Amino acid sequence: MISIKNVSKWYGDFQVLTDCTTEVSKGEVVVVCGPSGSGKSTLIKCVNGLEPFQSGDIIVDGISVGSPKTDLPKLRSRVGMVFQHFELFPHLSITDNLALAQIKVLGRKEDEAKKKGLALLDRVGLSAHAAKFPGQLSGGQQQRVAIARALAMDPIAMLFDEPTSALDPEMINEVLDVMVQLAHEGMTMMCVTHEMGFARKVANRVIFMDKGAIVEDANKDEFFGSPRSERAQAFLSKILQH
Amino acid sequence: MDFSSLVTAMPGLVSGMMLTLKLLVLAIVGGVALGTLLALARLSHNKLLSNLAGFYVNYFRSIPLLLVITWFYFVVPFIIGWLTGTNEPIGAFYSCLVAFMMFEAAYYCEIVRAGIQSISRGQVNAAYALGMTYSQTMRLVILPQAFRKMTPLLLQQSIILFQDTSLVYAVGLMDFLNSARSAGDIVGELHQFLLFAGLVYFIISFGASTLVKRLQKRLTV
Repeated sequence: MISIKNVSKWYGDFQVLTDCTTEVSKGEVVVVCGPSGSGKSTLIKCVNGLEPFQSGDIIVDGISVGSPKTDLPKLRSRVGMVFQHFELFPHLSITDNLALAQIKVLGRKEDEAKKKGLALLDRVGLSAHAAKFPGQLSGGQQQRVAIARALAMDPIAMLFDEPTSALDPEMINEVLDVMVQLAHEGMTMMCVTHEMGFARKVANRVIFMDKGAIVEDANKDEFFGSPRSERAQAFLSKILQH
Repeated sequence: MDFSSLVTAMPGLVSGMMLTLKLLVLAIVGGVALGTLLALARLSHNKLLSNLAGFYVNYFRSIPLLLVITWFYFVVPFIIGWLTGTNEPIGAFYSCLVAFMMFEAAYYCEIVRAGIQSISRGQVNAAYALGMTYSQTMRLVILPQAFRKMTPLLLQQSIILFQDTSLVYAVGLMDFLNSARSAGDIVGELHQFLLFAGLVYFIISFGASTLVKRLQKRLTV
């Protein structure tokens, strides 16, 4: 579904991604972890072309993200993305946040889009908040709306860029619950996250990045049981200590 | 001082004020529209486009408004006539309107640019991630938020424009100030009429400015 081939990226002289290669198959859940500044967020933003890259290629559902001929908006409309800071549109109600892109991008009728949005809002347990504005919801609620907004586009895969990093601890689980449910339903997911509990529970594979390179790309049990690289061992021992 | 002749002159003054307001409203609408396009051009990744817009803004901010008004009145009709081969005058009102729109656009551009830049990059990414194009992202997500934030500044700039419209007197357009001056001249009571005009400009500008400040407080809460 998503195949990343030898992707490198520079900001001026500084190399942020070095020869990254990996694959996410249909229905697979892949967790990307690593210390901050390791390029995980940059890599996931390359997948839907939010960040350009200078060499290599990324193929999503048979379409090359790097090719200048690719209709990026169209490709992005088929790949859902959830951000660290939610990024709901603050000037629109929750209902309109859910409906906007369905109407303007997919060309759905307004009542159809709103109905679909409400159904998804119900699924993330927030149907009572449809008429509110994003500023009136808690962080956890906003992030659940953001997930519903992405799902409303009927995506073939979902990208999560540190979806719980900006949340208060007691709100993390309500978001992870929604993500776990999605994973169980067979959604193809690529998640940048530090939530190792989530990774243990639903990930098929774990990718560990350091200094812009993929250091370890292993199935879950292998990664948590016996990581090959010293860097990943050190990282795991630090974050799993407590 | 006797202000009775003011009453007699009122119809002329009112029609002068109507012209001032008509010029003001059209110049605001055109200026903000052109200013927004200039702001988008200045923020564009296209170097040529952003440099051209930058030059436009810096140019118009570096010359006096009075010069722009007279320039559009005397020179532009001449150029248009020369280009089209006709010899039809544009008229003071439209040449002034174009002058104000183009001049104010430079100032509105900077306000709109700051407004757009105050919206986080994450909002652009979120709109793009949903499959929106650049134009949809701007129209549906970024500009609505930016305009909300910058309404007070746009209004303050428009109050300055309201006062600046009096410069049309240089090309003989009968706006409020010019009507007052000419009516005062006719009856030989220039001071009264100019005092009255000053009072009216003060009340409108100060009143509008107070309202804007109140609006600003409400928006920031």
